Amino acid sequence: MTDFLRRLLRSPQGALGCLIVGLILVAVVFGSYLTPYGPEDMQPLARYKDPSAAHWLGTDQYGRDILSRLLDGARSTVVMAVAATVIGTLGGAILGTGSAYLGGRADEFIMRTNDAVMAIPSLLMALMVVSLLGSNSANALLAIAIAFMPSMARISRSVALTVRKQDYVSAAIARGEGAAYIVLREMLPNVIAPIVVEMTIRVSFAVMLFATLSFLGLGAQPPATDWGLMVSEARQYLHRSYWILMWPSAAIALTAIGFNLLGDGLRDALNPRT
Amino acid sequence: MTDTDMALRVEGYSLAYDVKGGQARVLNGIDLSIRRGEILGLVGESGSGKSSMASAIMRHLAGNARENDGRIWLGGTDLRAQTERQMSDIRGRRVSMVFQDPATSLNPTLRLGEQLAEVLVRHRGLTPRQAWAEGEARLAHVGLKTPREMMARMPHEMSGGEKQRVVIATAFACNPELIIFDEPTTALDVITARQILDLFAGLQQETGVASLYISHDLALLSQTADRVAVLQKGVIVEQGETAGLFRTPQHDYTKALIAAAPQPDRRLVTPLDTTRAPLVSVRDVTVNYGRKSLLDTLLRRDYAPVVGSRAVTLELRPGEVLGIVGESGSGKSTLAKAMTGLNRFDGLIDFDGRPVTGLSDMDSAYRRDVQIIFQHPDASLNPRQRIAEILARPLRLYGRGQGDPRARIAAMLERVRLPASYVDRYPHQLSGGEKQRIAIARAFLSNPRLVICDEITSALDVSVQASVIELLMELHRDTGAAYVFITHDINLVRQIAHRIAVMYRGDLVEIADAERIADPDRAPYTRQLLEAVTPPASARLATTPQD
Repeated sequence: MTDFLRRLLRSPQGALGCLIVGLILVAVVFGSYLTPYGPEDMQPLARYKDPSAAHWLGTDQYGRDILSRLLDGARSTVVMAVAATVIGTLGGAILGTGSAYLGGRADEFIMRTNDAVMAIPSLLMALMVVSLLGSNSANALLAIAIAFMPSMARISRSVALTVRKQDYVSAAIARGEGAAYIVLREMLPNVIAPIVVEMTIRVSFAVMLFATLSFLGLGAQPPATDWGLMVSEARQYLHRSYWILMWPSAAIALTAIGFNLLGDGLRDALNPRT
Repeated sequence: MTDTDMALRVEGYSLAYDVKGGQARVLNGIDLSIRRGEILGLVGESGSGKSSMASAIMRHLAGNARENDGRIWLGGTDLRAQTERQMSDIRGRRVSMVFQDPATSLNPTLRLGEQLAEVLVRHRGLTPRQAWAEGEARLAHVGLKTPREMMARMPHEMSGGEKQRVVIATAFACNPELIIFDEPTTALDVITARQILDLFAGLQQETGVASLYISHDLALLSQTADRVAVLQKGVIVEQGETAGLFRTPQHDYTKALIAAAPQPDRRLVTPLDTTRAPLVSVRDVTVNYGRKSLLDTLLRRDYAPVVGSRAVTLELRPGEVLGIVGESGSGKSTLAKAMTGLNRFDGLIDFDGRPVTGLSDMDSAYRRDVQIIFQHPDASLNPRQRIAEILARPLRLYGRGQGDPRARIAAMLERVRLPASYVDRYPHQLSGGEKQRIAIARAFLSNPRLVICDEITSALDVSVQASVIELLMELHRDTGAAYVFITHDINLVRQIAHRIAVMYRGDLVEIADAERIADPDRAPYTRQLLEAVTPPASARLATTPQD
């Protein structure tokens, strides 16, 4: 494990990614204790303030301190996005790898069904799931996970098809291993590298998808401090103060960049050959 | 001898690559020279720097290459002093190269004529029309029957041998002073390789071009080369006239290389008890690839499957070593895959009284008894599993209640002569030969009664191959397991097999006793195959007994 960490930190992307994701994690864990103001405390006299010593990142349309809201919102935003991505990715990876392993008609059936699901835009898919199951955060998470699955299944299947032809898979079949062992232990570890990279890019999509769901009234509701919600709320006040829009957008971008860099670092560190 | 007699001179040349944590030295103080019209064989195992030498002469080195101030002269030209632009005029015109794999050295998206004519237009200043006509003449010259049609073909429309002929035609196209051959026959079948070698010998005689012939195959060099240089870890340990070098090798490494080459008359197996009932009998096993699609059924279209092997029938006694030989595509591996349940098949495999007619009949006991070892140890060991996990699987599947798994793995590692500390390693931390030993250990941990070896030595160096074969025969004596040994190395299989089966395009041509495979009353294809085989170097030249 320490060996793995050392390899991760040796590459510049890995080190920087770890740093940014580490900072975000600090905000996730301790965010609500570090806020200088209450995230929902309105100050009618200090609306649309630019960044200053009193309000480091300025205030929004109700005079709420943006820094406090960002710190407070980190937990729900990042944890939800990461959880949805991980569930969606793992599900898709197992589906795609399993499909590649089975081959033949089963593969054809799974992938054509997958194509049919992919034809529905992921936002519509998520909307459908939420409206079927009822609107709350847990269902929104599930909806996004399901929306991510088909494309992850495609990516992992294409990688798994080349792994399927390798002799170590043939060797496993020849000694009579079960399908679950072959998919999970022989194939999946060799498929994982591109999936991890893809997954880290998906985290930022997930943040935005959550924001969209919230915007449509199917996810987090005002006055919640979800970052995506903050962006969509700030949209209307852009002409009064662009800071309201900029800070949560920057936070989302930083999260995306951090996870992307971490993904690059992980890809190298996960490969035992380097 | 004056300088002008020399086609190539390499003086005191050293090469290293910058790698993480220092430099990896590849070539050390190389001194080589090739006279005009001479063939110099350069022999060495993988990693000895053979191919780096070729790249250095072509001035086509990787970015991290660091050279010393050694000289490389092509005739009177100092190649190290040439600019990249001048070199591109020299490459193809004065020095050209033939690579190992014709499948990858031709551009798959260009017609052959375009690829051949391009060289002539570029270096001999012909017009495209002239070049096309000249190209046809060149193709006729390398023994291709229909040069006009060949010029219009794409590379995938021809066989490997034909492709290599085109590559050779391209190399000879501008009458260069030197041609570098980098293992030109390794990727080809025995018979095709023999034809290519004959073609090379003919062209060489005719044009008198100087050649650097790189190979790992001593036997082959003993036939083709005038002089041979032996390269070990970047140092030329011995260099001399071919006949003399093989008769009285001076350096230990050369002696070891010559001794490691398989010799058909040095049998490594003990005679078999022929009275015992067969362990396996394969009856009319046919393997077809591809399946009839739903659309074909709906449209009632005829469907012709690709035949992998056709109605193969053979028997194997307990403890017998059966060699299967044939060129690529002859159905050797297909049969192996059918016997291990990796392919669907029609027909019957009778294993020790249990009939197996399909994949569903292959139960755990059959899987335990029949083990397969693959050609490439890189591909057959999962790169993300440690040796401990790789070796623990057969024990977990079949070996319940037979003692402590860790102790058994350690004992097996000792048996295949690897240190017990290897259990914590990943496959990529092992050398090719060590990896193949792990694959052998995995197969034998389930105490099999039949082991199928699918070309297990062809990816290994000669000396490593010898030690792997030695290990395999030792395990054969100890465990009494029967082997099906699939290979294209006929010298090797004559050494270790009791009987040899010859396959051709999916059919079993014949099965003969290994001692009698060279008899004159064998099938025509068998005779053709044996004639194409290069006899081992020491068998013809050496009078000194090895060992």
